[in-house]
Amino acid sequence: MSVPPAPPVREPAWPLSRSAIWLWVTQGVLGTLVYGVLVGVFVLTMPSSAGGPVPVLRWLLPALVVVYAVVAIGIRPWVRYRVHRWEVTADAVHALTGWLSRTWTLVPVARIQTVDVTRGVLQQLYGLASVAVLTASSQGTVRVPHLEVGVAERVADDLARRAEQVRDEAT
Amino acid sequence: MTGGEVTEVGREAQELTAARRTSPLIVLVHTVTFRQARQVVPAAIPVVAAVGVDGVGVVVALVAAVTALSLLFAALSWWRSTYLDTASSVVLTRGLLARSVRTVPNDRIRGVEVEAPALHRLFGLVRVRIDAAAGTLTGGDEEVVVDGVPRAEGDRLRTSVLTHRRAAAVPAGTDPSAPPPEEPGEEELARFDRRWLLYAPLVASYLAVPLAAVGALSRLLQELPRQLRPDLDGPDLTDVRVLVATAVVGLLLLALGAVAGAAVVNWGFRLVRRGGSLIAVRGLLTRRHTELEVDRVRGGTLAEGLGMRLVHAARVNALVTGLGAANRRGQLFPLGPRAEAVRLLGVLVDDPGPLTPHPPAARRRALVRAVRSGLLVTAAGAALTGLTGFWGVLAAGVVLTVLGVPLGLGRYAALGHTTGPRSFSVRSGLLVREQAVLQRRAVVGWQVRQTFFQRRAGLATVVACVGAGNGGYAAVDMAAGDVAAFTAAASGRWASAPPADVPGISG
Repeated sequence: MSVPPAPPVREPAWPLSRSAIWLWVTQGVLGTLVYGVLVGVFVLTMPSSAGGPVPVLRWLLPALVVVYAVVAIGIRPWVRYRVHRWEVTADAVHALTGWLSRTWTLVPVARIQTVDVTRGVLQQLYGLASVAVLTASSQGTVRVPHLEVGVAERVADDLARRAEQVRDEAT
Repeated sequence: MTGGEVTEVGREAQELTAARRTSPLIVLVHTVTFRQARQVVPAAIPVVAAVGVDGVGVVVALVAAVTALSLLFAALSWWRSTYLDTASSVVLTRGLLARSVRTVPNDRIRGVEVEAPALHRLFGLVRVRIDAAAGTLTGGDEEVVVDGVPRAEGDRLRTSVLTHRRAAAVPAGTDPSAPPPEEPGEEELARFDRRWLLYAPLVASYLAVPLAAVGALSRLLQELPRQLRPDLDGPDLTDVRVLVATAVVGLLLLALGAVAGAAVVNWGFRLVRRGGSLIAVRGLLTRRHTELEVDRVRGGTLAEGLGMRLVHAARVNALVTGLGAANRRGQLFPLGPRAEAVRLLGVLVDDPGPLTPHPPAARRRALVRAVRSGLLVTAAGAALTGLTGFWGVLAAGVVLTVLGVPLGLGRYAALGHTTGPRSFSVRSGLLVREQAVLQRRAVVGWQVRQTFFQRRAGLATVVACVGAGNGGYAAVDMAAGDVAAFTAAASGRWASAPPADVPGISG
C-alpha cells in the first residue's frame, strides 16, 4: 500500500462512542449465526452423492462463512470505528461514514429542516442512539450513527434550536 | 407585513363568498370517462361473471346499467364536492358518505397548473391542479385538483390563488411593497417553431411513442379471434429488396410517429414571464398551462440525448423547490436548438462559464469501468476455449471489450464542473448528457463520496444536494484535491469544513 492520499474534505474531529465497536461486533456475530445456520442446514440436508456444483459448495460455503465471520467480527467494526467521525462546527454539521467507500456529508445549520434521534433494539442494549439531520433534499441527509444517548439528545436539541434561529427558507 | 390590512379586508370579503361548485357539465365528462364508476369495476366483475354474459340483450343491458351507474356516481360526486379559495387557504370538500375537508394554506402552494384535456375542451371546461408540496418527511406531493370549471373561472382561480399566495408569504429577498395587483406585462421568452419537430425522430422518448403503439396493435391482433384475423400471406422475407423496403418504410413510419407524438405534446409551445412567474403553455389535444414562480427556481438542467447531440438539440428543465412531478412540470423548453436552450437556461440562472474537464485519472477510471465486464467475459471465454474449444464466448468478450472503449471515453467526455460568481455547474451522463446549472443558494448540503478505488486514484464524487429536481447533482470523479475549493466556491465558506470554532459538545 502506498501512502494514503489526502482526503478530499477535512476529516471531522469527533469519534463515535466506543460502544459502537461492540454493537458492530454484535451485529457481525448475529449475521454469522444466521449464515452459519443456513449453510449448516444446506450441508446437512444435501446428500453427498448429489452431482453438479454440490460437492464444491459443501466446502466453499462453510469457508465463506468463516471468512465473513473474520471480516464482520474481527476487522470491520474496528475499521468502521476509525473511519466514522462527526463534528458540529459554527455553521455546519459534518459527518464521515463508511468502511471501504467513504462518504462525507456537510449540511449548513441554516438549511436544517428536522433533526431525528432514533434508538434501535441493539442500540438500546449499548445505550446508543443515531442522529439524522434532514434537509429539503432527499440526498442531503447527515446520519451520525451510534452516539451515546445523552450526546445524541444534546446535539439534536442544540441543532434544532440553532436551525430555528438562523433558518431562512431552508430550501 | 406592509400588506397586512389589505389582507385582512380581503379575507373578510372572501369569507363571505360561499363555497363554489364545479360546472355541472363535468358530470357528462365523468360519465363518459367512467371516472367515479371505475372504482366499482373490480367489484362488478365477479357479479357479471356469476350472471354470465350471453346474448346481445344482456350486453346492452349491462352497458346501459354501467352508464347509468356512472352517471349516478358522477352526479353524486359533483353534488357533494365544493371548493373555496379564501385569502389564507384553499378548502376542498368531497366524499359521498365520509366527508373529507382538505385545507391547503396558501403559503404551502407552489404552483398552479390549468389543463384542458380534449373532452373538457368540448364543454369549455378546464382542470386546475394546485401544487402543495408537503415537507420532505411526509414524502409525495399532495396534489389538489379542481376538475371541471369553466375556462374563465379556472383563470380566476389561478390568479386568485397565486395572488393570495404572494400576499401570504413574507418574501425574504423580494420587494413586498410592489405586489402586482393588475395583470403585469408579459415578456415572451420562447415560442414554438414547427421546424423543431424534425428533431423528434432522434429523441428516444418520442421514438418510444410509435413503438408503444405498434406493440399495443400487435398485442390486439394476437388476441383477436382467429376467424376475424385478416388472412394475409406473409411477405417473402427471403427477397432482399422486400426486406430493405420494409425496413425503410418502417423507419419512415417510426420517424413520422415520433414527429406526430412531439407535435401532440408540444404544439403551440410558448414560454412567457409575467411578473414573478414563468408560464409555459403547450399541447395540441390537452392544453397544458404551467406556472412556476421565479422565486422558487434554483437552477435548471440542460439535457442532450445521444441523437440530440448529433443535431445540436437540447431540452431544458427548471429546478424548482417543492415541485411535484418535476420532470413534467418543470419542463421549460421541450425540444429545440441547443443555442436557444442555453439562452433560456441563462434566464433561469447565470451562466457560470465553461466547464473544467476532470483529471486523466477520471478517464482511466471510466475506461476501466467500461471494459471491466468485457474483460471478465473474455477471461471466462478464454477458459472455455481452452477447456472445450468453443470460441463464441471469447469472441463476444472481445467485442464487448472493444465496444467498452468508446463508451468509457464518452462517459469521461461528459464530465465537467465549474463555478461562477453566483452559480455553478456539473455535467455527467452517457446516453443522456445532463448539465445542471445551479444557483449558489440552491445548495442545502454536500455529499462527497470516495470508493476504495477512487481513493487510490485521487478522485472523488461530489454531490450538490438540492431541494429541487431529483435531490442531488453530481460531479463524478473530480480530483480529490479540488473538492474543498469547489464546494466552497459553489456555496459558501462552511462547505470547505473550516475547523470548529465553537466549543465541542461531544462531551
